[in-house]
Amino acid sequence: MFDILKELIFSSGAVSLTGGNLVMWLVAFVLFYLAIKKQYEPLLLLPIAFGILVVNLPLTFLMEPEHGLIWFFYHYGIEFDIIPPLIFLGLGAMIDFGPLIANPKTLLLGAGAQAGLYVTFFAAILFGFDLQEAGSIAIIGGADGPTTIYLTSKLAPHLLGATAVSAYAYMALVPIIQPPMMKLLTTEHERKIVMTKLRPVSRLQKVCFPIVTAMTIMLVVPPAAPLISMLMLGNLFKESGVVERLTNASANELMNIVTIFLGLSIGATMTATTFLNPKVLFIFFLGLFAFVVSTGAGLLMAKLMNLFLKDKINPLIGAAGVSAVPMAARCVHKVGSEANRRNYLLMHAMGPNVAGVIGTVVAAAILLKNLG
Amino acid sequence: METNWSKVIEVFSSGIIGVFLVMVLLQILTQLSTRVIDLVESWGKDESSESEVKK
Repeated sequence: MFDILKELIFSSGAVSLTGGNLVMWLVAFVLFYLAIKKQYEPLLLLPIAFGILVVNLPLTFLMEPEHGLIWFFYHYGIEFDIIPPLIFLGLGAMIDFGPLIANPKTLLLGAGAQAGLYVTFFAAILFGFDLQEAGSIAIIGGADGPTTIYLTSKLAPHLLGATAVSAYAYMALVPIIQPPMMKLLTTEHERKIVMTKLRPVSRLQKVCFPIVTAMTIMLVVPPAAPLISMLMLGNLFKESGVVERLTNASANELMNIVTIFLGLSIGATMTATTFLNPKVLFIFFLGLFAFVVSTGAGLLMAKLMNLFLKDKINPLIGAAGVSAVPMAARCVHKVGSEANRRNYLLMHAMGPNVAGVIGTVVAAAILLKNLG
Repeated sequence: METNWSKVIEVFSSGIIGVFLVMVLLQILTQLSTRVIDLVESWGKDESSESEVKK
């Protein structure tokens, strides 16, 4: 009896537990708290937290190459670049590019915010990261989870867990991170600017937009093809109005399924040995820096545009250029309506917000072209 | 590890310039295509209202 008990104890994972495992459990429980109690990006943070927890239970071998269950999700889903483009397909089926088509100038705001990303690239190099790692960290400033995962899996796969969690955590913290920057870089008078109503956009214009955009971007920056093609295909499904089943499948069932695999796989990359090193702390710091600088760059771009525009834009909408759809646009609307009750900026901010998604993909593709 | 600063500068500058160029190109093409569609749609409307008047 005693021998059986002894064998059971010694063959269990409990005896192989390390201090690192326990710290990672703590990280998992913090993410559980943020996802369940605070509801910060729960769709992603919940499976990520569970992935962290199970991969840090010794002897489960869930991430063992060629054998572990989650390793197969990770290998075929992320290393083979399947999941991020599928997420983009679903995203495309949900996004309305109408405000962007109505006011194409806002594409420049989506570009402006990406300047912060390159500033962070520079900062990461100064912190001692190599070129590929710096590129993966910089893309966090784009506030776009799938793009961050896509680029990091290509440039610096060992940083995948840290960059993905950083990107999703800061996306969830948009309402806390962005308003101080918005208030710092704009005057009360600027925040009160009321923008003219957006012109209506016809169905044909909405159908043509994904086709024109896909062709343009893929011709100019071919490495953007996997993400941009899926994003625009999803949007074409939606705007064509003739494939409702495919639109619903992309935006709901498929999106939900791949989100589970994505979250679990990302979480499972965060073992104690890969995650618990000083570099990860720097990644979280630089991720925050990227987010703040990108927000500032978007705001400054809007102010610069106002020097040349007859119909002034509210510079707050520049902050939505960091993507993080639709949280950044909502945040802009909230700060704008605090300054002026009659200000309704949500639709105006959706233009740069979706332009930010395109801009981040283009920025990632250029980084990939230069560093891949 | 030695940092290749010329590569850093190249990535930095080509990234910023590249993103702006692509987005400006996209802006021009979006404006152009929406204007063409506006013209085609208004032309189509004019034609259908003319045929209604004739009837």
